[in-house]
Amino acid sequence: MAQVKGKKAGFGAVLWDYLTTVDHKKIAIIYLVAGGFFFALGGIEAMLIRAQLAVPNNDFLSAGLFNEVITMHGTTMIFLAAMPLLFAFMNAVVPLQIGARDVAFPFLNSLGVWLFVFGGIFLNLSWFLGGAPDAGWTSYASLSIASPGHGIDFYAVGLQIAGAGTLISGINFVTTIITMRAPGMTYMRMPLFTWTTLVAAILIVFAFPPLTIGVFLLMFDRMFGSNFFIVEAGGNTIIWEHLFWIFGHPEVYVLILPAFGIFSEIFSTFSRKRLFGYSAMVFATVLIGFFGFMVWAHHMFTVGLGPTANAIFALATMAIAVPTGIKIFNWIATIWGGSIEFTTPMLYALAFIPSFVMGGVTGIMQAAAPADYQYHDSYFIVAHFHYVIVGGVVFALLAGLHFYWPIITGTMLSEKLGKIEMVIFFIGFHCTFLIQHWLGLWGMPRRVFTYLDGQGYNTANMISSIGAALMAIAVIILLINIIKTLVKNEKVGTDPWGDGRTLEWSLPIPTPYYNFANTPLIRGIDALALEKEEGDGTIPAAGPVEAIHMPNNSFIPFMISFGLFVAGFGALYFASGKPWAIDAVANLPEKPWALYVLIAGLAITFISMGVRSWKDDLGYYIPKEELEADLRELEARERGAK
Amino acid sequence: MAEQNHEQLTESQLKYLRMERTKEMRIQMISFGLMIFLTFIAFALVALEIDKNFVIPIVIGLAFLQVVLQFYYFMHMKDKGHEFAKLFILVGMYFAIAFVVCFIMIVWIGNPI
Ligand code: HEM
Ligand SMILES: [Cu+2]
Repeated sequence: MAQVKGKKAGFGAVLWDYLTTVDHKKIAIIYLVAGGFFFALGGIEAMLIRAQLAVPNNDFLSAGLFNEVITMHGTTMIFLAAMPLLFAFMNAVVPLQIGARDVAFPFLNSLGVWLFVFGGIFLNLSWFLGGAPDAGWTSYASLSIASPGHGIDFYAVGLQIAGAGTLISGINFVTTIITMRAPGMTYMRMPLFTWTTLVAAILIVFAFPPLTIGVFLLMFDRMFGSNFFIVEAGGNTIIWEHLFWIFGHPEVYVLILPAFGIFSEIFSTFSRKRLFGYSAMVFATVLIGFFGFMVWAHHMFTVGLGPTANAIFALATMAIAVPTGIKIFNWIATIWGGSIEFTTPMLYALAFIPSFVMGGVTGIMQAAAPADYQYHDSYFIVAHFHYVIVGGVVFALLAGLHFYWPIITGTMLSEKLGKIEMVIFFIGFHCTFLIQHWLGLWGMPRRVFTYLDGQGYNTANMISSIGAALMAIAVIILLINIIKTLVKNEKVGTDPWGDGRTLEWSLPIPTPYYNFANTPLIRGIDALALEKEEGDGTIPAAGPVEAIHMPNNSFIPFMISFGLFVAGFGALYFASGKPWAIDAVANLPEKPWALYVLIAGLAITFISMGVRSWKDDLGYYIPKEELEADLRELEARERGAK
Repeated sequence: MAEQNHEQLTESQLKYLRMERTKEMRIQMISFGLMIFLTFIAFALVALEIDKNFVIPIVIGLAFLQVVLQFYYFMHMKDKGHEFAKLFILVGMYFAIAFVVCFIMIVWIGNPI
């Protein structure tokens, strides 16, 4: 490993270390930083939306720009903020939770993160290169084929690149959790965050291919002259809607399941109790994952599939509420009678229950197909999905950030600032989105850039915008908290919360790059809590200290991703000004270099892949002596602390 | 962790391994021959210009058999340690078939049901 212990490495060396790293703990930090950046970007876009809608007849944003901003807000938040941030926690925690030294495919882990970073940059470059996509995050084909300019092309290519990264990471986590568990870590002893990560990763494996296909069809229509969605030529735009939602509904569960996992860990840690109904929780997680694939048409009730089809999908949708309800009751039973500690993560977790339930209830309302004709495409829908996504996923991300911060950075965020942030965020969230239910029921459609005075929407919209500003203030407090903590740099020791129950809290902080000097032996659920109660509070070793085989760092994943990034520009401008192109780009100036850029980009990718395939890289061994020296040093440090 | 196994095999272990591999090879060859034969039947049925309604279901049936052979014999699904792969393939097939049926019903045929 490039970083020498105890010595400060130069900036260049650190940068190179991160560009080439295959260590899951460092990849987690890349996900956290890049995901955090896109979260801020999406947040700024949200503020622009709420500023435009604060008062009627506003012209702060023009109609066209407004469409670009809402599209980029949704796309950025789902694909570039929420999912990567969840991947950050999965990378930081899951290998430690199951007693693994890394993920199953460290090289692919690095490839996944760089594909996501380059895809995200590609998508956002659209702002500077002739306009962002403007057909909504769902990018319905009837709109997106007609959208003039290259905006939609940035959406298609950017998502294709980032999506490949997500798919790769999904496969990686499935394999890791199935094959890399330490001795004794049976399936029914895995912590809930590992379980939800496993199911979410499986959902990714099954749900991303339909998106990839849909986006490929869109790319071919827009860039290479095919007619899948072009109705005049015999295409069918409904196919896009099906493909998108076959992906889209499982996607919302990809987001919420890991969030459930994070909250499960927090509830049991800060109630100082085992999770109530562990096996029911696991069962519910798997069931939600399975049902998630059979409900997609609830987003298309008003398309005209017919009453039988609508009824089937309505019923299937309502069925999902059952396992979700099981989970809610189990969390409540976990807190019940526990010795509760009101830390920042716990406050978020407590706030999550009522907030998420409200989102679930509106979900069931929408699942009733005839009623959905009223709600569809109104602000009621906006209220619903923000209640589940912000009240569920974003709460979990913020809670998880405070909770796992010591594992990721070795320091502790200020609890005082954290609680202030939590309260402001909570108030801001309900202030923004509660009133939107009524706006929807009063008839305000979603995705409109302004509304007229005198329709009774003014006060409600103003309240909503004020709430949004409160959430922004909370995020700024979080940023201040992070900066202060990093500057102070007060290191904490093992198990900083004092109540850690699962394996990741048994490790020294900072965690050594090989994670476990000894392969741990797991004797039951909540491995660390068990040892605290029955043993001496340390995890027993499954065997003697032995030399550890480690993978080498590699720059190739970065190059593979960069190649696709370059090729993306070639594909994007290929149809510009060509006579066979769709109307949206046929009138643009021709770009004769596009084909060469496409070929050059693909060449970079395939040559990098070739280098990887033909050059053997067998990794290296950490000698036994080094591990033993580390263990002795650790022991001395702990004795000193006592 | 890819720990390499450096232990020497004993004589009888080696013999057993050889035997297993020969058996495996034989099975591979037989299933390969079988699959070529199945393909040949399918081609022959089409070439003989027999009634369409008769040929199509048979060809689809043969194709299904081929898929099973492929998965179980060529891609080693019959071997131990493939429970998860099997589960994933089956679930994936279930979803894919459901999606295709749905598409045929509500997109291609297109009459609201
Ligand atoms: C109890 C479970 C849930 C049910 C019954 C449910 C039901 C629905 C229904 C029927 C719609 C379509 C409404 C329409 O467009 O007319 C919808 C939209 C939506 N739901 Fe849910 N939902 C549930 C949970 C969730 C969760 C957990 C998430 C995300 C974490 C989520 C995210 C969304 C999103 C993003 C949309 C809007 C998509 C769009 O049109 O842009 N839902 N939900
Ligand atoms: Cu849905």
